[in-house]
Amino acid sequence: MKSIITLNVNGEVHEIAVNPWRTLVDVLREDLKLTGTKRACEQGACGVCTVIMDGKAILSCLALAVDCAGHSITTIESLGSSDGLHPLQQSFIDNGAVQCGFCTPGVIMTAKALLDENPNPDDTAIKEALAGTYCRCTGHIKTVEAVKKAVQAGREVK
Amino acid sequence: MRLPRFEYLRPSSLYECLELLEGSGHESRIMAGGTDFLVSLKQGVISPQKVISIRSVPELGSVSEDAEGNLQIGACANLSDLVKHSLVLKKLPALHDAISSVGSMHIRNMATIGGNLCLAPRCWYYNQSKQWRHAVEGCYRTGGKVCHAISGSKRCHAINSSDTAPMLIALGARVCLQKKDNKRWISLREFFRDDGRHHTVLEKGEMLTSVIIPCETGKDRSTFIKIQHRKGLDFAIGSIGASVKGNGRKKEISLIINSISSVPLFLAKAAETVMESGFNESAIGKAAEIARGETGAVTNLFTSAGYKRQIVEVLVKRALSSLKRK
Ligand SMILES: Cc1cc2nc3c(=O)[nH]c(=O)nc-3n(C[C@H](O)[C@H](O)[C@H](O)COP(=O)(O)OP(=O)(O)OC[C@H]3O[C@@H](n4cnc5c(N)ncnc54)[C@H](O)[C@@H]3O)c2cc1C
Ligand code: SF4
Ligand code: FES
Ligand code: FES
Repeated sequence: MKSIITLNVNGEVHEIAVNPWRTLVDVLREDLKLTGTKRACEQGACGVCTVIMDGKAILSCLALAVDCAGHSITTIESLGSSDGLHPLQQSFIDNGAVQCGFCTPGVIMTAKALLDENPNPDDTAIKEALAGTYCRCTGHIKTVEAVKKAVQAGREVK
Repeated sequence: MRLPRFEYLRPSSLYECLELLEGSGHESRIMAGGTDFLVSLKQGVISPQKVISIRSVPELGSVSEDAEGNLQIGACANLSDLVKHSLVLKKLPALHDAISSVGSMHIRNMATIGGNLCLAPRCWYYNQSKQWRHAVEGCYRTGGKVCHAISGSKRCHAINSSDTAPMLIALGARVCLQKKDNKRWISLREFFRDDGRHHTVLEKGEMLTSVIIPCETGKDRSTFIKIQHRKGLDFAIGSIGASVKGNGRKKEISLIINSISSVPLFLAKAAETVMESGFNESAIGKAAEIARGETGAVTNLFTSAGYKRQIVEVLVKRALSSLKRK
């Protein structure tokens, strides 16, 4: 049976009817048409589907949409604007950390959650956070490098 | 990967939760953080008619210290919150290490301690898609009469992979199990069952509601070590929780290993060796060797029993050396 839930995504409040067996990633992509968040393993093992919920990076493939009602969700769509990219996005491009780009939304949202909590993470903290993500193209060195460079540049990464 | 259909229930108090559990019997299953549960649902290894989402039950989320300094943790306390909790950091650094080793930051941001302790045992044949499993006849755990992981085995030997369990047992933790009309406290060591069918002593309508960890005093010390194929986002090939309580002749050492067989294993003989001869190189070496034979390691999850015995030896040696230094 569908329940009516309120999802707060990127500051916008959506009232939608969902079945309890729908995952957050499915509802974001199919109902709200926010297709920036990707699906890959769908079993918690790749981090591609990462979104931020109440300040924490979570896996939207392992969250029921009904369980997310009333929480505040941030997706990759909230980063950057028509005037320019978010510093993390720019750093990923500048440092060759984007190739096919499929993992990128998840890796960037992971990095964003980390930097929101700790704007000056050391290498270990960056690696530990990014250990929950998979990039099959760039080989992880470049994604870690891109986050490091964004931090070093002392840019406004919020 | 779609989830199967189910009815969703979200109790707002512990009483309501226990009432729902009692009333719905075998049709219902508890979901806490969902990081293990939803994967099992997607793989079709379980298909409950009702899912009781317990993570927002207020009574289950608390972390506190009682008058004697024991730490009480609600079943739904979140792993990332626990890692940062001042009481855990200050009083139980080894537990901090065990919790930090679970999955990834993302997984820990969602997972709970109760879910980690109740984690379903895993197996290379069983934890796959439905299509995979259906390529051959079902195994014991799926209603069949064979075991595909260990040919010739008379029972299921899926592996208990919880990383907090060995540490919490070594620390002497007790767990509270509650039903609508009953509440009991047992030691975490007695919580796990090794009959090849049930992995815990939980009865119908019963759930784990909290964990209590006795405070460490004086010279008490503990350590946690995990060996995995890669550092980060991986289950253990073997993990050990070890502790020393008291000192001198009254010293008590606990060595608990997990991810080697269906239950966390108590390495009593290895611990005794060091209790008798003290923390010297030769006793540690001897204890590690004895531990090899104490495990009943089984070949599952891509590692052979022989390799696991080697892992056990290494883990015991490292854990005892670390306790010696502390
Ligand atoms: C990619 C990946 C990597 C992982 N790596 C690790 C790892 O390194 N180490 C590790 O230990 N685990 C690991 N896990 C497994 C799992 O994420 C953790 O064990 C986690 O702590 C489970 O907690 P949860 O709250 O999400 O449990 P859930 O998924 O909600 O529940 C797990 C099981 O316990 C039952 N349950 C939950 N709470 C209770 C309760 N209070 N009373 C009775 N039954 C209950 C549920 O019915 C279910 O069967 C990993 C999982 C994934 C997907
Ligand atoms: S250990 Fe054997 S019986 Fe148990 S789940 Fe694996 S294949 Fe099935
Ligand atoms: S799609 Fe969610 S972790 Fe891989
Ligand atoms: S850029 Fe292709 S997977 Fe990371």
